[in-house]
Amino acid sequence: MTIANTGPLAPVATHRRRPYGLLLVATPVLLVAWLVIWPIISAVIQTAFVTTADGGSAVSLETYSFFFSDGYSLSNLSMTLWTTGVCAALLLVVCLPIALYLRFSDSKVAAYVQGLAIFPMFVPSIILSFAFIRVLGPNGTVDLLLNSVGLPHIRSPYLTPWGPVIGLVWDNIPLTVLILLSGLGNVSNQSVEAARDVGAGKFALLWHIILPRISNSILVAISFAVLGIFSAFTLPYILGPAAPEMMGPFMQRTFRELLESKTAITQAVVTFGFCIVFGLFYVRSVAKNRAA
Amino acid sequence: MAATLVSRKTDWTGIIFAAVLTLVIVFPLVVVGTWAFTNVWRYPSVIPQEFGLRFWNQTLARADVWSSISTSLTLAFTVTALSAAICLPAAYAFARLDFPGRNLLFFSFLAGHAFPKFGLLVAIAGIFLQLNLIGTFWGVVLIQLVGTLLFMIWIPVAAFQAVDRRMEEAARDVGASPFRVFWSITLPQAGPTIAAAILLSFVGTFYETEGAWLIGAPQVRTLPVLMISFINNQPVIQYGAVLSVLLWVPSFIALLFARKVVNSGSFARGFGG
Repeated sequence: MTIANTGPLAPVATHRRRPYGLLLVATPVLLVAWLVIWPIISAVIQTAFVTTADGGSAVSLETYSFFFSDGYSLSNLSMTLWTTGVCAALLLVVCLPIALYLRFSDSKVAAYVQGLAIFPMFVPSIILSFAFIRVLGPNGTVDLLLNSVGLPHIRSPYLTPWGPVIGLVWDNIPLTVLILLSGLGNVSNQSVEAARDVGAGKFALLWHIILPRISNSILVAISFAVLGIFSAFTLPYILGPAAPEMMGPFMQRTFRELLESKTAITQAVVTFGFCIVFGLFYVRSVAKNRAA
Repeated sequence: MAATLVSRKTDWTGIIFAAVLTLVIVFPLVVVGTWAFTNVWRYPSVIPQEFGLRFWNQTLARADVWSSISTSLTLAFTVTALSAAICLPAAYAFARLDFPGRNLLFFSFLAGHAFPKFGLLVAIAGIFLQLNLIGTFWGVVLIQLVGTLLFMIWIPVAAFQAVDRRMEEAARDVGASPFRVFWSITLPQAGPTIAAAILLSFVGTFYETEGAWLIGAPQVRTLPVLMISFINNQPVIQYGAVLSVLLWVPSFIALLFARKVVNSGSFARGFGG
C-alpha cells in the first residue's frame, strides 16, 4: 500500500483514490463559488462596464470616478480609514501589554485576567451597543456617578466618531489577545533568561528579543482587525454619527434606502481594494498554519 | 515556570489589569442586567428607586418579541441543519478520501475571509436582487449558511483526522461493514468536536446581524434586528435591557461549553495567530 503525498492535508491511502469524494464536497464548494467568488467577480464586472447606446458594453470607470469625486463618499471613506487606523493602534496598545502579562505570569490573577480578556467574544455586539449607550450615553451611568459627586457631565462619545472606536476596540480585544498570545508562545523562556543574564532591561528585552519574534503575529492580528473594522456595520450604525458615516452603514443605506445597488456595489469594491493586502496576508497566514 | 517577568510576591500588574478589565468589560454588562430588573430608575438617582419584574411581563407580552424569537430560532435551526447536512459529508471526504483538487477545494473556503465582510454581503445582495431573494426567509438562510461553511468543514476535518485509524481497520478485519465502522468507531470519537462545531455555528447564526439586516429586514425580523429597532426607536429602556438578557442566553450556553476550546492554542492558530 502506498501513501499519496497530497500536501497540506494529511495523506490518505491511495487505494481509496476515487473521485466520488468530489461528489461529497460538491455542494459546499459550489455554494462558495456561487455566493463568494461569483459575487466578487460579478461586482467588479458590473461596476467596470456600462451599456453603450448601440446595446453593447464598454469599459467605463464612471461609477468609480463618481465615488472619488463625491465629497460625501470621500468623507465617509476618510472617516472609515481614520476609525480603522485608530482602532488598530489602540488594539495594539491595549492588547500587547495584556498578552505579555499573560505569557510571563503564572499567578492566580492571570487566569482571571485571561478570562476577562476573552469574555467579549461571548457578548454579541448588539448587546454591547446597548450597554455602551446605558453607560456612556446621555444620562448614562457615568453621568449618574459624576453627578452624585458634584462633577459636570461628560461629553458623551455616543453618536460621535469615538463611539464606534470604543465599541470596535472592545469587541476585538479577545481575538487580538489570543493571536498575540499564540505568537508569544514562540518566544522561549531560555532566550528571555539569557538576555536577562547579560543584563538586558525590560525595554531592551521587549524590543530586541520579544518583538522580532512576534512581528508576524502582530501583522496577523492587525490584518484580522482591519478586515473586521473597515466594513463593520452594527457598531458604527448604532453608535456612530449619522454623517459622515463609516462604509458599512453607508453601503447599507445606499443599497436598502436609496435603492442604488450599483452605487452600493461600487462602494463594496472600493472596500475590497483598500483591504486586499490585509486580506491576502491574513488568508495566507491561516492557510500556512492549517497546513503546518 | 522558570521565567517570570512579573514578580511572584504581589502581582500588582495583574491586579491593575484585573481591576481595569473588570471596570471596562464587566461593569457595562452589570448595568444592563440591573436595568432589566428595574421598575423605576429616574435620573439622578445612582441606584434604581424600585426593583422588580414588571418589564419582564410587559416585554414577554409583546407580539413582536415572540415572533422574532421564533424567527431567530427557526433560522438558526434551519441554517445549522443544512450546514451539517452538506458540510459533514464533505469534511469526511476531505479527511479520508483522495480526489482531484482536494487541497485547492479545501482552502477555497478561506476565500470569503480575504474580503471585508460587509462589502462581500453587499456584493451577494447584488446577486440576490436579481433573484428576488431580498426580504425573504431563504435569502437570509443562504447568506447565513455561507458564513458557517469554514468552521463546519475545518473543525470536523480535524476531528475525523484525529480518529484512531487502527481501531477502524481492526473492526474492518473482523468483518464490520463500512457503515458499521463509521457508526460505532469513527462517529463516537469525532462526535464531541463535531458537536462543538455545530453549537458554534448555531450560536453564530443566532447572533448574525449584518446579513439579516441587509437581506432580511424589515420582512424577516430576527431578535438582533428587533434589538436594533428597540435601540433606535424605543423610549422605554427596560424593553431593550430585558431583550439583552434574553438574547444573551445562547451565548451563555456557548460560554459554558466552548471556553476550553477557545482557551486552547489551536483555536488562535485557526485564526492565523
